[in-house]
Amino acid sequence: MRKMITGLALAAGLSATALASAAAQDKAPIKVGTALDFTAVYTFVTAEYSQGQRDYIALLNAKGGIKGHPVEIMVVDTGNQPQRGIEAYERFKSEGAVLVDFLSTPVSRAVVPRALGDGMNVVTMFHGRSDAADGKVFPTIFPMTPAYWSQATAIVKYIEGQEKGGLKGKRIALVMIDSPFGREPVPVFEELSKRLGYEFATFPYPSPGNEQSATWTQLRRDKPDWTIIWGAGGGQPVSVREAMRNGVPLDHLASVIWISETDANIIGADQTKGLLRFEGVASGKDPAVIKAIQQEVVAKGKAAGPAEKVGSTYYNIGVASMALFAEGARRALDKEGEPLTPAKLKHGLESIKDFTADGLLPPVTITSEDHQGGGRGRIAAWDGSKWTAKSDWSAAYQDIVWNLVHKSAEEFKASGK
Amino acid sequence: MYLAELAINGALVGLMYALVALGIVLVFKASGVANLAQGALTMVGAYVVWWLAAGLGAPLWAAMPLALAAMFLFGRGLERVALRRMVGQPVIMIIMLTLGLEILLRGAAPALAGATMKRLDIGIGQQPIFLGDILVNRAYLVGGVVALALIGLSLLFFNSRQGIMLRAVSDDQTASWAAGIRVEQAIGLSWGLAGIAAACAGILWGSVQGVDWTLSLLLIKALAVAILGGLDSIVGVVVAGVAIGVLENVIPGYIDPLVGGGTRDLVASTVILLTILVRPFGLFGREDIERV
Amino acid sequence: MFYRLAGIRHTSYAADRALWPVPVDRWQIGVLLALALAAPFVLPNLYLSSYLLPWIIWSTAALGLNLLMGWAGQIHLGYAAVMAIGAYGTIHLVRAGMPFELAIVAGGLLSAVIGLVFGFAALRVKGLYLAISTLAMQYLVDWIISHVPAISGGSQATLQAPNFRVLGLPVAGDFARYYVALAVCLLVTLFLLNVGRTSFGRALVAVREKDFAAAILGVNTFYFKLLAFWCSSFLGGVSGVLLAFCYYRAVTPEQFNLDVSIQAVAMVIVGGMGSVMGSYLGAALVLLAPIVLNNLVGTLAQAGALPVSQEILSHIPLILYGGLIVAFLLFEPLGLAKVYDNLRNYFLVWPFRHARH
Repeated sequence: MRKMITGLALAAGLSATALASAAAQDKAPIKVGTALDFTAVYTFVTAEYSQGQRDYIALLNAKGGIKGHPVEIMVVDTGNQPQRGIEAYERFKSEGAVLVDFLSTPVSRAVVPRALGDGMNVVTMFHGRSDAADGKVFPTIFPMTPAYWSQATAIVKYIEGQEKGGLKGKRIALVMIDSPFGREPVPVFEELSKRLGYEFATFPYPSPGNEQSATWTQLRRDKPDWTIIWGAGGGQPVSVREAMRNGVPLDHLASVIWISETDANIIGADQTKGLLRFEGVASGKDPAVIKAIQQEVVAKGKAAGPAEKVGSTYYNIGVASMALFAEGARRALDKEGEPLTPAKLKHGLESIKDFTADGLLPPVTITSEDHQGGGRGRIAAWDGSKWTAKSDWSAAYQDIVWNLVHKSAEEFKASGK
Repeated sequence: MYLAELAINGALVGLMYALVALGIVLVFKASGVANLAQGALTMVGAYVVWWLAAGLGAPLWAAMPLALAAMFLFGRGLERVALRRMVGQPVIMIIMLTLGLEILLRGAAPALAGATMKRLDIGIGQQPIFLGDILVNRAYLVGGVVALALIGLSLLFFNSRQGIMLRAVSDDQTASWAAGIRVEQAIGLSWGLAGIAAACAGILWGSVQGVDWTLSLLLIKALAVAILGGLDSIVGVVVAGVAIGVLENVIPGYIDPLVGGGTRDLVASTVILLTILVRPFGLFGREDIERV
Repeated sequence: MFYRLAGIRHTSYAADRALWPVPVDRWQIGVLLALALAAPFVLPNLYLSSYLLPWIIWSTAALGLNLLMGWAGQIHLGYAAVMAIGAYGTIHLVRAGMPFELAIVAGGLLSAVIGLVFGFAALRVKGLYLAISTLAMQYLVDWIISHVPAISGGSQATLQAPNFRVLGLPVAGDFARYYVALAVCLLVTLFLLNVGRTSFGRALVAVREKDFAAAILGVNTFYFKLLAFWCSSFLGGVSGVLLAFCYYRAVTPEQFNLDVSIQAVAMVIVGGMGSVMGSYLGAALVLLAPIVLNNLVGTLAQAGALPVSQEILSHIPLILYGGLIVAFLLFEPLGLAKVYDNLRNYFLVWPFRHARH
């Protein structure tokens, strides 16, 4: 009892100090809350992603913030546990955050009902509910990037382009992790197989994916023309290694967005040449905004993490997430004036038009019906030291995607009653 | 041929599981404690090797023996600091203690080494080995052979002087005391050996899948192997390891297409349940559990 | 001085068996109850919905597990699976139109039936092997829930808890949800407090201490072990329903995985096995310590006092959580309830050091 009271008093005192420690500024800070998974399932992406986010915020603040307002980013670990995510969300809300980010499918799924009820904006870059693209049913959930369904169509489109004479009669195999994330693109692939005439087979492997030999043996029996891997984290390098061992040519192997330089280096940088992946954000240090970060933030010693990670895939996705937020905040302040509230930010985000974040993203346009931003992505291949683009930024088969989005969103609306 | 390939690769993977289970069996044999932190110890072993090899730049032929020595001391240290106080406490407390240690290690190792996956390269190539038409995974082949060798070594060890002392301790602690055997030292030794087994398993598994916290998830597979084989039988570990490895590969190979996938995870849990319900002390274990 | 023991004489059997014979204890409980009832009006919303509400719900779960582990002495490493069954079952029933009051009982019964199957392992084995078989069943139930879309809610694997009504009143908003959880928690607490006073409780204690001795005395050990599993699983199912409806409001399979089971066992052990007060204290410590530590570490880091990377910072709560479990088991195996007991005994005779009997 006493411990609980001391604990509560301590927590109260600490939140008070946390609020007070935000130094007195002439303009009120804009707060973003990120409750990410640093310790459990998403460790492969979170460190670099958060580093990218924080470096971009540092860049913003170095240039005077958003219209004079400094931006404050709160970073907390949730360990992929929904209850810690909920607690973090409530705390962000009480401290006046206008946007929250979880980068964790279970946590964001648990928080979505609350966020919708409170009108709090949630950004879900490249993951989470694919049907959140429907801005009417999910007014404050902003993927702003192609989620898994659009990634699936983009991959199939590229494969279609590579096969002269179309896909009729070809075999496509999906090797995925046996979880809701892995099973998510299956309806899209099946729908496309009906339309384009290819044969489709699935080969799930059990989580966490460190042992996949049996799955790939089954696949070898199937002799597909193209193989798609759909996993994340430790399972990805294992999948690619198994593919190599079973004679699957890497230039006929495409992956979902979650494969990075780290994975390629774990497999062996030279051996991974030719591996394809979906890309939603340009990687590398060439985009102008990354160069700006290097000049203003890294060179001046304000970086949030190791310098060699600047420009990696997940780092750039983090930068993109905050760049989209900043653009939305800027537009909101322009149109509706101060102070910035979650509702105003929502309108600001929904007015983003053809935004590329200085060469980092394909042109993103968000409306109140379409929170996906256009669904554009491209396919990139590993050339031994970096990922190089093999196609242009384009969106594929969006009609199938939107059919599914609307159907799924309707189910969500009905079930909430 | 499909069946043979699944079976052979499965047997090799099973032997690698058996190496982790060896640690559990060694500790249980000597002290009657089921070490549920063995998965975490494997993870720590892998991290230590990675740190020595990649972090400090030591060559592999130096890093591996150093890591083995370090893990031996670490296992002995764990026993000395944590387990010795729990002698005589109810078994749920001891289980909970090892689980607490597992959580502690699962937090400490990635915190110190970084949570992103690390590469551990021990020089095994990627090209598969072909036995006729059957593709055998080279890493698993090396892993299986090493595991078998280590288990054989431990069997030999149990015929040595120290090993006989350990066997006496596992049989009857009080009588061993009476005979002048230093029981605390023997138990400490068994934990040290478990540390070595964990380090070897960590090296093998780390090279297959990369080093990160998910190595600690090997626990449930190792537990299934240990239970099926008998918690105090080293021979049982080999037999059960091969059995579970084969079952895990072969059964999903045929059932997955019918059910839609993912039956592999079921195999370990079902094996544990069936073993406990039908023959609780395992295939080769000694019967000394109380029943209702 | 604080605990007036003089003048407390019992003139009836009922008075002798009262739960709190000492008036100060009764006042203490009264004050706590009043605080609990007044909390929504006094506490800011953050503390109510993120700290107090989950604490109440997890105390209920810990109480249920305590019945099995503390009173009956059986080990259960699969409690989260039992909670999941209750949660999913009740959500589906309420969606199908059943009124919430019936559905929560039905969900509990479903958990009890399936949890009983866990209990049949107790027929064959004890101790370590029982623990491992419950572990295996946790994985099994986990697998079934996530692989059967009819249960788990389709490809998105999230099931929304529908709006519900209790006694005709719609339950919406944090206040109402809090009171529903509080009501159920109080009922379960009353049940646990009274278990010790019934023959059921005495039989459980006999079975826990030495089951073959109890069998010789005529206590049907197998029956009481199964009954303990049944009751405990029912309570687990009910607390799972509370978790789903009042706190999470959308359930995913990850909310009931092995880590959650271990957390429940940690709550019972850290709190003190067999003690009602211990369940509350253990739930508070295990639930709130990582959060408080997270915030503490975060604030210190922001203030620049901890010059460590974000990676290490985010792992510290996990390290401290494991360390907490280990420390309690090594240094105070009887848990927080014993700590409270020591404190109470100290104040019982204060200002004297000890009392002469």
